[in-house]
Amino acid sequence: MRSTKLLATAAVTALLFQLPIGAAQAQDGVNVADFALADRIAEAVASGDQLNIYVSYHDVSNEFAPFIRRGVFRASEELAVNAVFMGPVGADADAQISEIETLMDTMDGLAISSVSTDALAPLINRVIEAGIPVVTYNTDNPESERLVFAGQDLVQSGREAGALMGSVLDENGVVIITTLDAAAQWSIDRETGAREALGAYPGIEIVQTVNTGTDPQEIYASIENAMLANPSVTGILSLECCSTPAAGEWVDRNGATDRVMVVGFDLLDQTVDLVSEGAIQATIDQAPERQGFEAVNLLVQFLNGETIADLDTGVGIYTIENIDEVIVE
Amino acid sequence: MGVGGYLRRMMLARETGIFLALLLMCFVLSLTTDAFLTSQNLLNVGRQVSLLGIMAVGMTFVLISGEVDLSVGSTYALSGLTTGMLIVEQWALVPAITGGLAVGLAIGLVNGVLSTYGRIPSLIATLGMLSVVRGLALVITDGQPVTVNERQGALEGVLARFEFIGQGYLFGTIPMQLVFFIVVALIAWLVLSNTNFGFRIFAVGGNAKAARVSGMPVNAVKICAFIVMGLLAALAGILSMAFLPSGQAGRTGLGLELDVIAATIVGGASLSGGEGTILGTIFGVLIIGVLRNGLVLLGISPFFQELMIGLVIIVAVAIDKWTAGRRAR
Repeated sequence: MRSTKLLATAAVTALLFQLPIGAAQAQDGVNVADFALADRIAEAVASGDQLNIYVSYHDVSNEFAPFIRRGVFRASEELAVNAVFMGPVGADADAQISEIETLMDTMDGLAISSVSTDALAPLINRVIEAGIPVVTYNTDNPESERLVFAGQDLVQSGREAGALMGSVLDENGVVIITTLDAAAQWSIDRETGAREALGAYPGIEIVQTVNTGTDPQEIYASIENAMLANPSVTGILSLECCSTPAAGEWVDRNGATDRVMVVGFDLLDQTVDLVSEGAIQATIDQAPERQGFEAVNLLVQFLNGETIADLDTGVGIYTIENIDEVIVE
Repeated sequence: MGVGGYLRRMMLARETGIFLALLLMCFVLSLTTDAFLTSQNLLNVGRQVSLLGIMAVGMTFVLISGEVDLSVGSTYALSGLTTGMLIVEQWALVPAITGGLAVGLAIGLVNGVLSTYGRIPSLIATLGMLSVVRGLALVITDGQPVTVNERQGALEGVLARFEFIGQGYLFGTIPMQLVFFIVVALIAWLVLSNTNFGFRIFAVGGNAKAARVSGMPVNAVKICAFIVMGLLAALAGILSMAFLPSGQAGRTGLGLELDVIAATIVGGASLSGGEGTILGTIFGVLIIGVLRNGLVLLGISPFFQELMIGLVIIVAVAIDKWTAGRRAR
């Protein structure tokens, strides 16, 4: 059965392409003994004071924010720290920098998902120079001197999506790639992985990358136009949460479930419905709640003297075979 | 007047320049892509520009009255989400839609009062409201997507009628969104060209002092223009929710105000007030819609598309201004 084959493909791809995240540190790990911790933080840890852990997310108004916030709250309760979820409304690098600068003197640890790698790297380095440990989560900032990263390897997740698409197309077809923001680092990483994986199938041609924009109407219209421009398309590979349901809706409304396959990301309600109806063949979950939890957990472990290393929060592959697990949740 | 006179009058009409630019674009696209001049694609373009068009009609009222409204994207989002949430809460269709429209009406009223009796320039007042309304949308949804389907709680009959409004076709051919746009544009054209209120909007926008001296209720007229804008932004937001049928406070309608203002200005309305027509606005909306559609059909790089859209807006307005100079002579 196609869905079973899909899940098997995902497992094989994960093994074949298993790459280290933040290679050197992931293997060696880091310990607070090798870190110039600020005196005030060292005293707070020694005296058992409640630690202030700030978790800055690159856009608190996007779909993922509530899930990540939930993980942060869970960490706050389970680990008995004051974990604060914050960040700009909209992907605004200046606002993210300003907020962190304002709170720098009060933070005992910072977990950050950067709006922009280049814009935030100097600030991350400055925070570390001030003796405050910084980890990255969700979106890495490898340009900075951050300690470790907790999240999904974006290139790898792109590879998995590409391999899934290759599988549902039986290694032959014409594909368009859709993304909310083709210039964003996360999108470039996923597209790189997806193209790499699809490149392994000589019978598959990628005809276009469609930059859909972020407004839901705009996304649907972009897919509609792209499908009209490329009537031979048999596969839509979405790189993110939000063009995935739009692609599924297009397929559903145009009665194209038998001729156009969709592979995408995340578990928005609409995506879950479309997977269960067979309009989307597979979707890759990023476990955002776990990312929020682990961002805090890594900092707490580090401050308590444990050695921490990069953490791959993994991917979950959902098809019509196992989507019921999500619906039940 | 002879045929020559009619032709001369037509060539000097405000909308002629923009109409010719639109025709030229369509001509070029029909030569360069097979998919453009198909009934399916033209209906797609019609549907894709409808929501922008409905809002641009509202913006025409506001700009003619000498004001501007930057909060339309947020109003569009909050109204649509409100209606969606009410339907999920198992409200009947009419009260749910009325709720969404009431939100738009209230925002328009506040914008109008702040800009007139509050003596805050509308650019500033509506910029503030853009943020207030977007924030409200995030607060009431907690940043979570709102999806209108039976699994979320919508009643089957209500859902079917709601979806028809956004996804249905009149006579099985004309998308309902386009039907709404045509009806709104017709009513607006009648109001602007054949009613006392229409005359007063032009008078107030052309010269507010003269209008006041002649006894016109300047503030009331401007407030009404803002209310029209609020109601039409709300209608577009509700139609969008019915079409998708999902929305997210952080993304829905984000930056839409710039598209709406651009379409209206391209259509010949003036930021300094007193000028603008519904026909011109329709052409302006079509220019932007056809351009977006055509660039995707041509497979132009997404980054180059942004550049092209900006250039066309500048050129279209420049042509209008040059022909305005000829008209004045």
